Amino acid sequence: MDGKLDDEQEMIVQTVRRFADRDLRGWGAEADRSGAAPDRLTAAASELGFFLDAVPASADGLLEGDYAHVTRALRGYELGRGCAALAALLETNVEPALAVGAWGTSAAKQQVFGALASGGLATFGHDSRGALEVTESGGELRITGKVGPLPALGVASHLVLAVRDALVVISLDGVRREAIVPSGWRAAKWGIAHLDGQRVPAELVLARDAAAVTEVLSWARVSLAARAAGVATAALDHAEAYARERVQFGHPIGQFEALIRLRDDAMTSAIAARVFALHAAWAIDARRPEAADLASRARVLAGDAVAKATVDAVQIYGGYGFVTDFPVEKLMRDARAFEALHGDERLGRILAAKGAK
Amino acid sequence: MDIFHDNPLFSGVRQMLGAFAKQQMRPIAMKHDTEESMPWDLMRSAQALGMTQSAMQDGRKKLTGVEDDPDPKKPRTMARLGVAASEELAWGCAGIALALGGSGLAASPVSRMGNDEQKAEFKKLLSGNDEHGRIRVAAMALSEPGTGSDISGLKTSARRDGDHHWIIRGSKQWITNGQSASVFVVWAQTEPDAGRAGVRGFIVGRGTPGLVPGKKETKLGIRASETAQVHFEDVRVHGDMMLGVGGESAGLADTKKMLDSTRPMVGAQATGIARAAYEFLLDRVRGGSLHGTPMASHQHIMFELADMAMEIHAARLMAHKAAWMADHHIENVMESSMAKAYGARVAQAVTNRAMVLLGEEALEPGHPVEKWYRDAKIYDIFEGTGQIQRRIIAKQLTGQNPT
Ligand SMILES: Cc1cc2nc3c(=O)[nH]c(=O)nc-3n(C[C@H](O)[C@H](O)[C@H](O)COP(=O)(O)OP(=O)(O)OC[C@H]3O[C@@H](n4cnc5c(N)ncnc54)[C@H](O)[C@@H]3O)c2cc1C
Repeated sequence: MDGKLDDEQEMIVQTVRRFADRDLRGWGAEADRSGAAPDRLTAAASELGFFLDAVPASADGLLEGDYAHVTRALRGYELGRGCAALAALLETNVEPALAVGAWGTSAAKQQVFGALASGGLATFGHDSRGALEVTESGGELRITGKVGPLPALGVASHLVLAVRDALVVISLDGVRREAIVPSGWRAAKWGIAHLDGQRVPAELVLARDAAAVTEVLSWARVSLAARAAGVATAALDHAEAYARERVQFGHPIGQFEALIRLRDDAMTSAIAARVFALHAAWAIDARRPEAADLASRARVLAGDAVAKATVDAVQIYGGYGFVTDFPVEKLMRDARAFEALHGDERLGRILAAKGAK
Repeated sequence: MDIFHDNPLFSGVRQMLGAFAKQQMRPIAMKHDTEESMPWDLMRSAQALGMTQSAMQDGRKKLTGVEDDPDPKKPRTMARLGVAASEELAWGCAGIALALGGSGLAASPVSRMGNDEQKAEFKKLLSGNDEHGRIRVAAMALSEPGTGSDISGLKTSARRDGDHHWIIRGSKQWITNGQSASVFVVWAQTEPDAGRAGVRGFIVGRGTPGLVPGKKETKLGIRASETAQVHFEDVRVHGDMMLGVGGESAGLADTKKMLDSTRPMVGAQATGIARAAYEFLLDRVRGGSLHGTPMASHQHIMFELADMAMEIHAARLMAHKAAWMADHHIENVMESSMAKAYGARVAQAVTNRAMVLLGEEALEPGHPVEKWYRDAKIYDIFEGTGQIQRRIIAKQLTGQNPT
């Protein structure tokens, strides 16, 4: 991994950065207030190739050849700089599309790709706490329990669910769902689904293989890590600009050593988080055996980094940091989902280490 | 042994307010957080119980049946009662606690610097109901859009108008109860070139022409407490309502002292939030299981709890010590700042780690720990930021002002 971007990556980064700066930041602030994504998001994002970037060209998508997780991480970082909630929506189809592409039967492909190609959203969830009840008869599974909160689950047509060693597609038609607006990523169309003996026919079981579950989790974790690093960077950029302007005791507050140090340490973590996310993405693309482990650790680091950066940014803003007229309190709320979604790998590793002894 | 057991008064207050917090505050906390609304009904019943400070020291008297000896050489109990009460109420809900206690921010300079006439006027302005039929509340208006930490840089001015009046002009920012208050204690510069020495506080009633409550803020946390701008557009005030006239302690130095005296309580409030999050986890650990194993058998979770309990214990002791010093008339500038800054740190650290441990669960809308995480942040910002507290501590340690 030499860190050099190819021409296509360079172009994507530039384009998404412009989109994030010009549109997502402003839309994100408004979307946070209203708890709803703006209508124009879909059109603008589709034009940039979101939503269908992981759907094969043969199924009316945009993907030719292998999916590049490094490119996705580069883009995710820029999106995170724009708005975490809207970024989550723009990235939500990737795991479902890639999973169906990798393991789906033709029936699964037809259903999911068909829905995505006609503008639908899908989402990915992981039963990290083993809370779902699964029974099996023939090749068919029945699943009972609560799924979520997950972004996009409030409106998605399909859910790709990792439960134990199974990776399944659930068509959400007729599934009891609540749309919710939590404290962070407010515009991300969150939902909770209540599965009640939900039947998953054999053709929608993508895999019965712990490795497949781990792989999808790795994609998701790297993407979360990259976006988290973007949110952290945005918070610190805001804080830096503010600290240059705000004067107390006759000095711009950015001149006070305590604040320089506060922001500087948070910046080190944010940069490390970005680099680690890119490195883990590279490992996935290169099919390295350590990819899953790296992805999981990259997410832990980024989760910590974004929590710290956003809290510190609020601190630097003082009283203005605590009110919604300024951008950083939103970022502090937005920070938490990065670390919470799909379960805590730290815990997973503790359990694994004990099991391995 | 509980540190408050050295005097049954403290444990009594803790018990009583703890029950109040649990029964009256907890059930409505999330509603007022979501709606960003003041709990007016609860404020009324709290006032009847003597829990709001709007009637200055009456509250404590009513609550505890004890009145401190005015003899300045005798030890008091007020400061320690304050920290004991603060922790319990903030445990219930920090936003509601501030709604109940916010008037105290204004009452404190009046009781410290006011003469009898001013105290009576302040009390009068707070009695009865306001035009919405609500209890009356007060606001302490010191901060300005351009001046939070550096209170010597106030821009709000008071200029003489004839022999008996002052005209106040300026805007105040982030004022607790700023929209609803019936009475304001506003700080203004009375002598353009006098710097700190020229700053004075004035008691101003709400109806006074030119006093215009401004925009109400929407906030990250403590949303049950109202925060708003207040504009003073040439507000004419009688000189009798200037605090500290004739006394030597009237200016900004005393404003600072006033803030010193509330810091242990602010630290205790932060401790209350930390304790709320810690107890939430403790209940979980006692009752719950994780991946089929009882949580209590997970060392990493148990040690987290041990850390939290340790930090909360330390924060509580620090607030109590600072208050004990105040009650014994021992200067506590440094200890007050330590209690406030450390309480803020613990509240943030404990709620942060609780969020991590709860994981996905804390993403559910209306999760109390997420609310406490948002509420905790204010303790590093208002009443002197974490940096300002460290500045005070460092100055006490070294004799120098670290800019
Ligand atoms: C919810 C809420 C309620 C409030 N209620 C009231 C109220 O009722 N009445 C009232 O008068 N005010 C109130 N305030 C205002 C509050 O006291 C100020 O916000 C606070 O003092 C910080 O001031 P500031 O916001 O101007 O931040 P600034 O002073 O601009 O500080 C910005 C950052 O710079 C840092 N900083 C400043 N100086 C230094 C230095 N010398 N060295 C190192 N770092 C430094 C600060 O720590 C902070 O991180 C309230 C604020 C909030 C948010």
